[in-house]
Amino acid sequence: MPKDVLISVEHVSKKYCRSLRHSMLYGVYDVARDMLGLDGHNDQLRETEFWAIDDVSFELQRGECLGIIGPNGAGKSTLLKMLNGILLPDKGKITIRGRVGALIELGAGFHPMLTGRENIYINGAILGVRRKAIHRKFDEIVAFAELEDFIDSPIKFYSSGMYARLGFAVSAHLNPDVLLIDEVLAVGDVAFRLKCFNHVRSLVQSGSAIILVTHSQNDIARVCSRGIVLHHGKPLPAEGLAQAVRQYHELLQTATRETRDQRDTPVRVTAVRTLDSQGMASRQFRSGEHVLVDIHYESRISVDDCVFVIKLASHDLGEFVSFTNRVSGQTIPISVGSGSIIVRLRNVPLLGGNYIVQVHMYDAGTKTFWDQAVPACTFDIIEPDPEIWKEFHTLRIEHDWLINPRFSS
Amino acid sequence: MKWLRASHDFLSSSPSQALTDIIYTPDNIRRQGRHVWGTIFSEFLNSRELIWRLILRDIAARYRQSMLGYLWAVFPSIVTVIVFAVLTQSHTIHIAETPLPYVAYALWNISVWQLFAGCLTGCTNSLASAGSLVSKANFPKEALVMAAVGHPLLDFMIRLVLVTFVFVWYGVPFKAQMSFVPLILLPAILLAVGLSFVLSIINLLLRDIGNILGIALTFAMFLAPVFYPPPTTWPSSLINILNPLSPFLIASQDMIAHGSLSQPQAFLFSGLFSVFVFLVAWRLFRLTIYRVAPYA
Repeated sequence: MPKDVLISVEHVSKKYCRSLRHSMLYGVYDVARDMLGLDGHNDQLRETEFWAIDDVSFELQRGECLGIIGPNGAGKSTLLKMLNGILLPDKGKITIRGRVGALIELGAGFHPMLTGRENIYINGAILGVRRKAIHRKFDEIVAFAELEDFIDSPIKFYSSGMYARLGFAVSAHLNPDVLLIDEVLAVGDVAFRLKCFNHVRSLVQSGSAIILVTHSQNDIARVCSRGIVLHHGKPLPAEGLAQAVRQYHELLQTATRETRDQRDTPVRVTAVRTLDSQGMASRQFRSGEHVLVDIHYESRISVDDCVFVIKLASHDLGEFVSFTNRVSGQTIPISVGSGSIIVRLRNVPLLGGNYIVQVHMYDAGTKTFWDQAVPACTFDIIEPDPEIWKEFHTLRIEHDWLINPRFSS
Repeated sequence: MKWLRASHDFLSSSPSQALTDIIYTPDNIRRQGRHVWGTIFSEFLNSRELIWRLILRDIAARYRQSMLGYLWAVFPSIVTVIVFAVLTQSHTIHIAETPLPYVAYALWNISVWQLFAGCLTGCTNSLASAGSLVSKANFPKEALVMAAVGHPLLDFMIRLVLVTFVFVWYGVPFKAQMSFVPLILLPAILLAVGLSFVLSIINLLLRDIGNILGIALTFAMFLAPVFYPPPTTWPSSLINILNPLSPFLIASQDMIAHGSLSQPQAFLFSGLFSVFVFLVAWRLFRLTIYRVAPYA
């Protein structure tokens, strides 16, 4: 293994069983075979089994942070548990160099009846830290968790945020060569999350290799240098972090599109797409350009006043802005047959990312809800400089900087 | 060449110590060959502190929300012994003469039995009750099983205080040979932990084991010389051998009453058998824990 590679994963696969009944049978069978020293035929699938991780390979060096993204059930946590040595792979080989820290379960071994102080030592022992080492870092851990006033209370009286803070604080003071993080950064309040991120970033800078499992595009952009998208246990081929994030978004869209409502309604949205200012179909825009939303519909009735609601959503924030012809005071009549409407969004002030358009239609008079297209379509705002994601968020607000201003008051 | 590579690793790592490679493959646990026991014991030495911490945790947490606290260690034995003492004294049941006054005899035996039963139950349930700790944290899981010995052992020591008072009350003479009793009980505890290594694994897959064990232990208590002296006539004398705890129970009774063993061969054989079971089961535990971790 090259000297700076800390994690090497070679063609690793792991199978799981869908049915509990079968899995218990297989479990007893496999345990019996292991105990008798017989070959378990790990590399073959049996009835109701499937590959939860299927032929994953990658290498990670010092100072790199790999983000693993993917929909629920893609196998991210299974992969992390194999890297941590809790589960063994059924095929392939994992090599890890150095001291491994894992934030898979915060506060492993915490006992609710015991005080925070007692639990710090227990958690440390489970993570493999000697009592002396914890003793030395004790004050630092308590200060990081911001629990000075509660450290001698039983942790069953802690809030869930306090519990997670204590768990993170102990794990964070391990100084590992390899750190595995499973979505635990989503806990605690905003201030504590920022603290966790800064801590992770400082570990990367000091030469640790980090693997972060997350759902959040912003988490990935903030700390990761590389990304892997897992889908049904298989890694999607991606070059660079930005492409990985886009692939993940496409996966999410196909997943949500399948759940679209199919009921019978007199007025129906048939197609929605985005156009550029020349009226040409386009899905990629620059920040500040016009985005035209082209909505096609079909109707079996004629209506004097129809309400369209357009919503924009991002994968992190959900729906964050909406607009409607009701507020603009524009009446839209609909006649029998098909028709189309274009909504022009002027100088769209969005920053780089993938955005989802949603369209809802209802009758202004009777408030009868007709149809919704969620998601109707998506578009990308292309940011030439991907670095900008790290410090900026969603909206470009027009602003000026005044240095040492003197206002007469 | 091997040495060269090793020194290269040493130089390349930024901290002062060399970084070791950990390798996970489908069968590297199974194919450890002759290094097996070296790895097992060095890992055990490394996890001493963890085992001690887990013992302290269980003991500290157990009686914290309880008024009577450690007195709970003696109540069940006292109640059972009183019941049997009343039954024998009123001649409801007939029991042959015991080597010690009946109350002292029964109390000692039930203390030893509860030590064994407590270890077996506690260790067998240790993995299942640890829950996500087994499936989500990486540490030598046998520490959980071994640490489960702590609580029944402490209870036993508390009962020893009561046993001492009862021995004084009934005028049981104290002998120097009584100090061998811990050596007699040690293989019994190893046997309990050994059996639990296998049972705790199966208990993760099929939770029935915990329930079955409770019933089996109640039944087995009456098939051991606990409330009656060891039978001398065939076939009832079979229980002196068939119940795996009987030889240790009889040996401890002999040591306390006579200061010598009446069946040294039986004790020696059972002792060696227990150590064998313990070691083999430990190895099996390490082979299979990866399989069952997801079921925790």
